[in-house]
Amino acid sequence: MENRIKKVMSDVFDIDIESINNDSSPDNIENWDSLKHMNLIVALEEDFNIEFDDKDIENLLNFQLINLTIKEHIVEN
Amino acid sequence: MKYSEIIRLNRELEGVLKETKYKVVILSNIMVHQSKEICEYLLRVESVNASVSIGEYDNIVQDSTKIQDVNAVLIFWEACNFIDGLQYKINTLSEKDFQNLVEKIKLEIDLVFNNLKEAPLVLINKFTSLVFDQFSLPISRINKLTSELNFYLESVIGENVKIVDIDKVISRLSIKSSIDLRYYYSSKTLYSINFYKKYFEYIKPIFLSTTGKIKKALIFDCDNTLWNGVLGEDGFDNIKIYCEIQHLILHLAKKGVIICLCSKNNPQDVDNVLENHPDMILRDEHIVVKKVNWNDKVSNLKSISQDLNIGLDSLVFIDDSSFEIGLVNTELPAIKTFQVPAKEYEYGLMMREVSNLFYSLSQTKEDAQKIQIYKKQFQRSEEKEKIGNIEDYLESLCLLLIVHVDDLSQVSRIAQMTQKTNQFNLTTKRYTENDIRKLVEDEFKTVISISVSDRYGDSGLTGLAILDSDKSAIDTLLLSCRVLGRNIEYKFMDIIIDFAKNKDLRVLNSQYIKTMKNQQVSDFYERCGFIKVDEVDNISQYNLHLESYGSKDIKYIRMENGK
Repeated sequence: MENRIKKVMSDVFDIDIESINNDSSPDNIENWDSLKHMNLIVALEEDFNIEFDDKDIENLLNFQLINLTIKEHIVEN
Repeated sequence: MKYSEIIRLNRELEGVLKETKYKVVILSNIMVHQSKEICEYLLRVESVNASVSIGEYDNIVQDSTKIQDVNAVLIFWEACNFIDGLQYKINTLSEKDFQNLVEKIKLEIDLVFNNLKEAPLVLINKFTSLVFDQFSLPISRINKLTSELNFYLESVIGENVKIVDIDKVISRLSIKSSIDLRYYYSSKTLYSINFYKKYFEYIKPIFLSTTGKIKKALIFDCDNTLWNGVLGEDGFDNIKIYCEIQHLILHLAKKGVIICLCSKNNPQDVDNVLENHPDMILRDEHIVVKKVNWNDKVSNLKSISQDLNIGLDSLVFIDDSSFEIGLVNTELPAIKTFQVPAKEYEYGLMMREVSNLFYSLSQTKEDAQKIQIYKKQFQRSEEKEKIGNIEDYLESLCLLLIVHVDDLSQVSRIAQMTQKTNQFNLTTKRYTENDIRKLVEDEFKTVISISVSDRYGDSGLTGLAILDSDKSAIDTLLLSCRVLGRNIEYKFMDIIIDFAKNKDLRVLNSQYIKTMKNQQVSDFYERCGFIKVDEVDNISQYNLHLESYGSKDIKYIRMENGK
C-alpha cells in the first residue's frame, strides 16, 4: 500500500518514487503547493476508492500521516 | 483511466509530440485547475499538441482583454459564483437587485464577447442551475436567472462561439458524481475529476474538427452489424435489418460522413440486399467504397484508406466480431474501432456515441455532396492487395485446435453443422443425427470434428471432416464461418492427411460441389495441392498422392487431441 501511495505522489508531483519517505512533506517537495495538494487528495481518493473526511484534508501534509489515514479508512470498510 | 495516470501520461506525451502547440485558455469564475491535465491528455492522445493555461480566478472579463495568439478559449462561468454565495443569497434578493444582477452579467457577457471576437474559437458553457436547483418543485430564482442568461447568450454570440450544453454532461454522470462540494466551500472548486474526464471527452470533437483530426469515414461490417444474421448462412429472407442503426448511419451519410462496407461475404449477395431488400434503409447510393470479398479486413481497410486518400486515423470501423476488432486494433491501431454490443438494445446508444466523432464545426453544402464526389472518384477499383502482416496477429492469438474422432457425444452438434453450414462447405451434404451416428460407428468412416479456441475464447465445435477410407475420399469438409480467416482450414487439412496416412491410403480423392453459397472454397483443394481431374456440371473432382502433400506448416496453430 505504501508503494501505491508513493506511486500516486510521484505521478502528481513529478518526482522519483525513491525520493519519497516518511518525512516527505511540502517542506521538502517543492511541487507540493496547495493546488497540487488538492490534486493529490482526489488522486488518492480515486486510487483507493475512499473519501477523506473534509476536516482531515488540510492536515494530510506528510507521507506518514497520509499512509496512516488511508490505512484507517481501509480498516473501517 | 485514473487521474494520477492521466497526469503522468500527459507529462510523457508532452515530450513526444512534435506538432505545433494547440493553445487553449480556460477562463473561469471558479477554480478549474484540475481540468488542465485532463484536457491536455485527451487531446494529446489524438496527436493534438494541446497546451492549456488557466486564467486568474474569477477574472473572466479582465482576462478576456488579454487573450491573443490562442487557438481556443473555453469559459466556465458559474452562476452560483456570480456573487459569493449566490446559490443561497439569490432567493432573498429584492426583485430590483435580481434584475440588476441580470443586467450586470449581460453587460459582462457583451464585454467578454467583444474582447474575444478575434479569437478563432470560443466555447462557453451554458449557464447551469442543475447543481443548486436539484429537486425544487417551483421554478426557482436561480433557474430563472440561468434561463434568461442562456436566452441572452444565444442571441448575442458571434460565429466563432459555440455554446456547450454542460447539463448533458452532468446528467450523464449524475449531479452527485459531477461535483465535489467539499472543495466548493473551501476553495471554490466545483467539479469532480470524473466530471472533467466526461466533459472533455464530450467537447473534444470540437477541438479535433478545428485541427483537421476529425474522423471522416465510417466503415461497417455487414453480418450482425448492419443486420442481424449471417447472409451467407441464413439467407436473404432471414436476415433482420437493424433499422435504427441504419437510420443513424443515413443521417451521418447526409451530413457528409463517408460510409463504407468491409465485409467477408459474396459481393453479389450483399449487392442484392442493398438493391432489393425491402427493409434496408441504406442503399448502394449511400455507400462510397465497398470491400465485400474474402480478403482479410486489414488489407481491405488499408485499401479503403488508399482509395479515399485519407489517413487511417480518419477511419472508424464497426464489426461484431472480437476477432476482427482485435486484428484491426493490433495491426492498424490508428483506426478507431467499435464492437457491436452483445446486448442489441445498447447498439443504438453506441451508434450515437460514434456519431459524435464526426462532429463538424461548419456544415457546408459540399459535405452533403461529398458522397457523390467520392463515389465518382473511385468507381470501385477492386484491386486485391494483401498488405500488412496478418501472420503476426494470428501468431498473437494463441490458436488451438482440439481434434475429436468418432465422438458419439457430439452427434447432434455435428449433424447441425452439416445442416447449417453453407459457405465453407465443400460438398454441402446434409446429415441427420442418425446418419452421423451410423457414420461414427462405421469402421471405414472417420468423423473428425474440431473445436477452435484463441485468447478471445472458445468458439466450440466449428469444423468437420468425414473421411471415407473405403473410397479413399473426403466425404465432407466444412468450417463454420465464425473461425474463417485464421488459416485453420490448412491446419485441418494437415490433420485429415495424417488420418488418411494412418489408414494406409496412398491417394486421397475429393470433390467440390458448387452451390449458391460456397464460392469462396471453389479453389480450396487446389490451394492445398490437390489436382483437378474432372469437372462435370457443378462437381469438380480432385485427387492427391499423399506422399506429395506439402503442408503449409502453420506453426502458430497448436493442436491437441480431445478426450
